[in-house]
Amino acid sequence: MKELIINGSKRELDASTVEDVVRLLGLEGRPVVAEVNGEVLTLERWADTATEPGMSIELVHFVGGG
Amino acid sequence: MKVKAERTVNEAQTVVASAGSNVYISGAADERYSRQILFAPIGTQGQHKLAERSVSIIGMGALGTVLANHMVRAGVGKVRIVDRDYVERSNLQRQMLYDEEDADLALPKVIAAERKLKRINSSVSIEAIMADVTPANVLEFIENTDLVLDGTDNFQTRFLLNDACYHEGIAFVYGGAVGSRGMSAIFVPGLTPCLRCLIPSADSGGETCDTVGVISPVVDLVASYQSAEALKYLIGDDKARRDSLISFDVWNNHQHMLKLGQPRDNCPCCGLNKYPALEREGEATISLCGRDSVQIAGHPPFDLHVWAQKLEKAMPNLKMNPYLLRGFLPEGERLVLFADGRVLVQGTADPARARTIYARYIGG
Repeated sequence: MKELIINGSKRELDASTVEDVVRLLGLEGRPVVAEVNGEVLTLERWADTATEPGMSIELVHFVGGG
Repeated sequence: MKVKAERTVNEAQTVVASAGSNVYISGAADERYSRQILFAPIGTQGQHKLAERSVSIIGMGALGTVLANHMVRAGVGKVRIVDRDYVERSNLQRQMLYDEEDADLALPKVIAAERKLKRINSSVSIEAIMADVTPANVLEFIENTDLVLDGTDNFQTRFLLNDACYHEGIAFVYGGAVGSRGMSAIFVPGLTPCLRCLIPSADSGGETCDTVGVISPVVDLVASYQSAEALKYLIGDDKARRDSLISFDVWNNHQHMLKLGQPRDNCPCCGLNKYPALEREGEATISLCGRDSVQIAGHPPFDLHVWAQKLEKAMPNLKMNPYLLRGFLPEGERLVLFADGRVLVQGTADPARARTIYARYIGG
């Protein structure tokens, strides 16, 4: 388990990569942009970007209503 | 004539006091916009520019009504509004230009909005178009316009607008909202990424305003952020342009700015000169439309009087206005015929069921 900061809140997650984080939060396949420590991380890099304790991950989940 | 002349003289003498100095403003237009003109980044020059600009607002639901309200009150010269739907009671909680009478009359949203907007500012030219926006007609709705504002409620139409705008070199202001979450960004061809750079494709994943709901403040906020970017863009204040996508959750108190960065080389629109949504062939004639409603397009325009006679035996409760005909079927569903040839089957989310009902009452 690692303590990560997801969308501004501390979360304990058993996630070794950013892809794991997205999956554990139920956002797999959804229109999401991931920003890690302030930098946008493209989809192709989610699987090989390892999480580190205290890492700040912002998952911007695009919304389609209006 | 005399009364009119006197009024003009009075308006020409309007004096507005500001910060210890008197700013002399002439004419009714300047009185109307005085507070906006006093705002230094806009000023008199900016106000004149707004009067020369035109915008297209696609979708006149919750976002669209707030967008139109801002654009018309601000004095944008021409405002085109496009929507396919009519006003229902469930709209009134958040779609701020409509009232109970509009819902009782089942007025098309663009007609109800046009009436309200003309009362708000009669000097703005408003073009109201009732239509379903498709790859075949989208370019008509964004031609001769300086800026396209997103008032849609689904990703399919948003990507169509994104692709059409980047194809034509027109800036596009995205906005989206659901639940208590919302986001907005301005996309300018050649200068910023587009929606497709950020997310290659998307569907709502079942999260729409019809399934998980939406609260009014979040749509007002989103459309107001869109409108602020629109005003900056229309007067040419490029330095003030927001270079991030703002996203927020007003219930859970979170906000984030995502830096847009540069257009992506591998984006179809920005890097490869391809516009997938425009190139979609054979647009589906059947589409889900809200939670419990199926739209079937493709019929030639309906003569509503003729169809009222045809259907009155099956639907004794038929109601008609100049734009549509609607009534409850013995099967329980509601049928709506639009003059432009579209049919809505309400009360089912099953396209096959809708097709059966269509075949039974409309034919084909």
